[in-house]
Amino acid sequence: MSDSSPLDAYRLDTEPKWHATGDEISLFSAAYAARLPVMLKGPTGCGKTRFVEHMAWHLQRPLVTVSCHEDMTASDLVGRYLLGPEGTHWQDGPLTLAVRHGAICYLDEIVEARQDTTVIIHALTDDRRILPLEKKGELVRAHPDFQLVISYNPGYQSVLKDLKESTKQRFCALDFDYPAAQFEAQIVASEAAIPQTGAETLVRIAHKSRNLRGQGLTEGASTRMLIHAGRLMAGGLSVTEACKLAMITPMTDDPEIRAALSAAVDACV
Amino acid sequence: MILKSARPCQRLSMPVSETRTRPALGAGPDDPPQARIAAAHARLAGAGYGVSVPRAFRQVAPKIAAQLGQEAALALADAASRIAIRTRPRIAAQFLDLSVPMARRLGAPEPFRRWIALLQGLLKPAPDAIEPLLERMETLHQRLGLAPLEAWVQTGLRLAGTDLALRRAYFTLELPEAVRLLERHAGEDTFHSLEGELRATHRALWGQSPPIREALPQAKGRAALRASFGAGVIQLPASYSGYRGRERLIYKAALAHIGAHMAHGGARFQVGQLKPLQIAVVSLIEDARVETLALRQMPGLARLWLPFHDVAPEGMATTPSLFGRLARALIDPDFPIRHGWVRKGVEMFRAGDGQIGNPALSRHIGNILGNDLGQTRVQFNARDYVVQPVYRDDNLGLWDLPPDPHEAQQHHHIDIETHDLRRSEETDSPQDRKTERADQSTDLPPEKIVAAPAASGVGRIVGHLPEYDHLAGIERADWVTVKEYDPAPGDPLFWRKLEDRHGPLLARIRSLVRAAAMGRQKRLKRQAEGERLDLDAAIEAAIDLRARRTPDHRVYEGVSTPDRSIAVHLLIDTSHSTGDPVSPTGPSIIVLLREATGVLAHAMTQLGDPLAITAFASDGRDDLRLVRVKRFSDDLGPLTGMALSGLRPGYSTRIGAAIRDAGATLAPVPAHRRLVLILTDGEPSDIDIRDPDYLVADARRAVQGLNSAGIDVFCIALGQGAGQRHAEIFSKRGFVQIDRLEALPEKLPALYLRMTR
Repeated sequence: MSDSSPLDAYRLDTEPKWHATGDEISLFSAAYAARLPVMLKGPTGCGKTRFVEHMAWHLQRPLVTVSCHEDMTASDLVGRYLLGPEGTHWQDGPLTLAVRHGAICYLDEIVEARQDTTVIIHALTDDRRILPLEKKGELVRAHPDFQLVISYNPGYQSVLKDLKESTKQRFCALDFDYPAAQFEAQIVASEAAIPQTGAETLVRIAHKSRNLRGQGLTEGASTRMLIHAGRLMAGGLSVTEACKLAMITPMTDDPEIRAALSAAVDACV
Repeated sequence: MILKSARPCQRLSMPVSETRTRPALGAGPDDPPQARIAAAHARLAGAGYGVSVPRAFRQVAPKIAAQLGQEAALALADAASRIAIRTRPRIAAQFLDLSVPMARRLGAPEPFRRWIALLQGLLKPAPDAIEPLLERMETLHQRLGLAPLEAWVQTGLRLAGTDLALRRAYFTLELPEAVRLLERHAGEDTFHSLEGELRATHRALWGQSPPIREALPQAKGRAALRASFGAGVIQLPASYSGYRGRERLIYKAALAHIGAHMAHGGARFQVGQLKPLQIAVVSLIEDARVETLALRQMPGLARLWLPFHDVAPEGMATTPSLFGRLARALIDPDFPIRHGWVRKGVEMFRAGDGQIGNPALSRHIGNILGNDLGQTRVQFNARDYVVQPVYRDDNLGLWDLPPDPHEAQQHHHIDIETHDLRRSEETDSPQDRKTERADQSTDLPPEKIVAAPAASGVGRIVGHLPEYDHLAGIERADWVTVKEYDPAPGDPLFWRKLEDRHGPLLARIRSLVRAAAMGRQKRLKRQAEGERLDLDAAIEAAIDLRARRTPDHRVYEGVSTPDRSIAVHLLIDTSHSTGDPVSPTGPSIIVLLREATGVLAHAMTQLGDPLAITAFASDGRDDLRLVRVKRFSDDLGPLTGMALSGLRPGYSTRIGAAIRDAGATLAPVPAHRRLVLILTDGEPSDIDIRDPDYLVADARRAVQGLNSAGIDVFCIALGQGAGQRHAEIFSKRGFVQIDRLEALPEKLPALYLRMTR
């Protein structure tokens, strides 16, 4: 791979751990083999990003991750002219970099980006596999190894924050959710390096908080939060303290919901 | 009403303080105290109130003067005189007699003055309330304390309005509502203050949201002592008096206990041949069984439950004591067992551990234990039996009790009342209480809502709309006739009053809107960063570089955040049911709808989002009644306010047709996003439609039609009962339910901002 030097920084050296709970690895590999774009759906903190990292390592491809935000423009993705000592020069954006040199490009939380931004990926996601750089007057043909992956959290209750139908239909989709209790406990135990029983208690608490989804909480406690709480426990905090610090206080400001979550923690300890 | 009654009370209390300050300033020439009291006595004696009033004053005045000072005693004379004039001298004497024990209770001049002011405040609006109030004053004060007592009295005045009989029933405590309110004002933590937290906790622990209600007073106004559940409804006592300071824990424990029943219980037990004693024991074992199961998943609940098991391991072997010991021994492994019957129960329970998931175990053990206890001489009085400890429920939900017709009837009765109560509860939800405390003026006056008269104006036919027949599978063209009605003239000062009532809320929304930082999209030159180069700046910078000067680094060009582009057509359901009050004492739904719409319109105008408001109702397919409160072209002004406040409830809800009409008006509006927002309190219905699915199917079709034309439809369903079929019509993501209607003015704009962010 002589041309992959710009992407060397994006290669993963160590294996990001992934606890498979279904056949998601084989499904994703099949989509990659056909170079089809993939959409990962699921609530925040359930492991979408980790999964993409794991797959990039598994498939031995560099991974370019872009966290989308409200002010992100098309230039932020494809690139722009910069001013140097010798005049202007073109700088590839992360997406162009991945397209040109053959990486997996992961657009995290794509709905956060402005609508006009999402349109530029259209030509990349059908059989044309091209990226027109309008300002530079260049048509970049995708490297054979290039693949586009986006993540999407359908939980937002906003009419405006939904993917366009025309965007949605270009992707294969994998559904993610928090893993089943025993898997989740294993994940928390191994990621946070705490005993299995402690992890099981955390998972039970998380399930109680997920009961409040849509009833005061937008989302319940995520697996990521559990791992954070677990790490605090490994550092010597009690379950109650760790849960308060890593879960209850970040999740809500509503005193009633906080009281309910505290009651749930108390009940499970 | 309250304000009116409060004002005279303040005025009347003025002389009291004036007389207090006068001698201190040295205005009066050092009258000896006795002389002033004697003068007051003489005035009373000479006023023609008979002998009882001056005699009572002569007796009590020295005592009050000794205890609370001379001014208090003089104030007494003034108040007694007014009471005698407004009511009867006998009542004034009663007041004077009562003042001595009350002075002892109140203990200081200022509370005593407030107490007198409370009674004087009643003289004008409700003189008839004074006598029953005086009769119960000591009990009420003992129960409530002064400030809650004042609140309770004011609530009574508001509740009864001008209805004399109702007022009498309230102040004599014959009205169940009065007892309920008394309960509520009595406790530090009552059901109402904890309601939101309890609901959320139950939902978190058990993953279910059954309706949780305040238990109604039982027959003869006795307050419910224990929690109860049945038919999927949980009822909690309005307060747990006698457990001051621990109410919160009791409520949590009680709800967790019921949650355990619901999660681990089975079908209701058949009573069969069981005696009351056996029923009680079976229930006790079942309580322990579900708690044991719950503790295996949530061991921490033990810390909630065990503190209430405070029975001693030995003592007289009475039924309550034995029951208490068994209950405790079954879930507390450290509890010493000293009685054979308790030991037998615990051993059988442990032996049955393999069967613990099966409710039949409780029945089996309870049968035997009940039988054993029946053989001994231990007395069991089923009538006075109250389940112990306090957090456990009354066990009625465990049993199938139809054979006794009296019981069955009572049960039914409770169900119906519960249903009614539901609405009253929502008015007093914790959220509302918070706002109420922050700003008393948000309290809406109980406006009388008159339904729209049958012939309120003549509608102009403005068009026809199709309707979908789901049985035939066809869309019938021109099936519904659309008529526009002129808005009824409402309150020209609507906006000002809204500002008065919701001032803090409106200010909060204004700052929210400002934070959203909306503005027209502009090209920004000479930026430090941006999407493209600013050519002029770039050239200048290049020249600077060549000339070996430091170039300006701001060479980019950007655009400000784009303009919002969303147009909204707000549809307000004004069908007959919106005339219902949200609670017996609260405003009606339509009043809240008008307020909430006003607040939302206010917010949207600031956002610059084009808005139209149409109220709809229907009277058969020939009369889809639309009132155009605001068109897209209208400004939000006094006329809109009048139209909005002029909305009256009446007729039915033909949602589909209204949606189509709103869609048609939105279609030509140039905006990126177009949204039909519907506020409704019920499901589609109309007088000419019997099939409940017909209008639902039509509405769904209308929504789909709009969606395919690029118009979003979103529904806000009001009330708990609403929204059962809304998921069918609007899809799961297309509607949201608001249970606590009185929070609507606050919630609606917040919801809108979140939705369109």
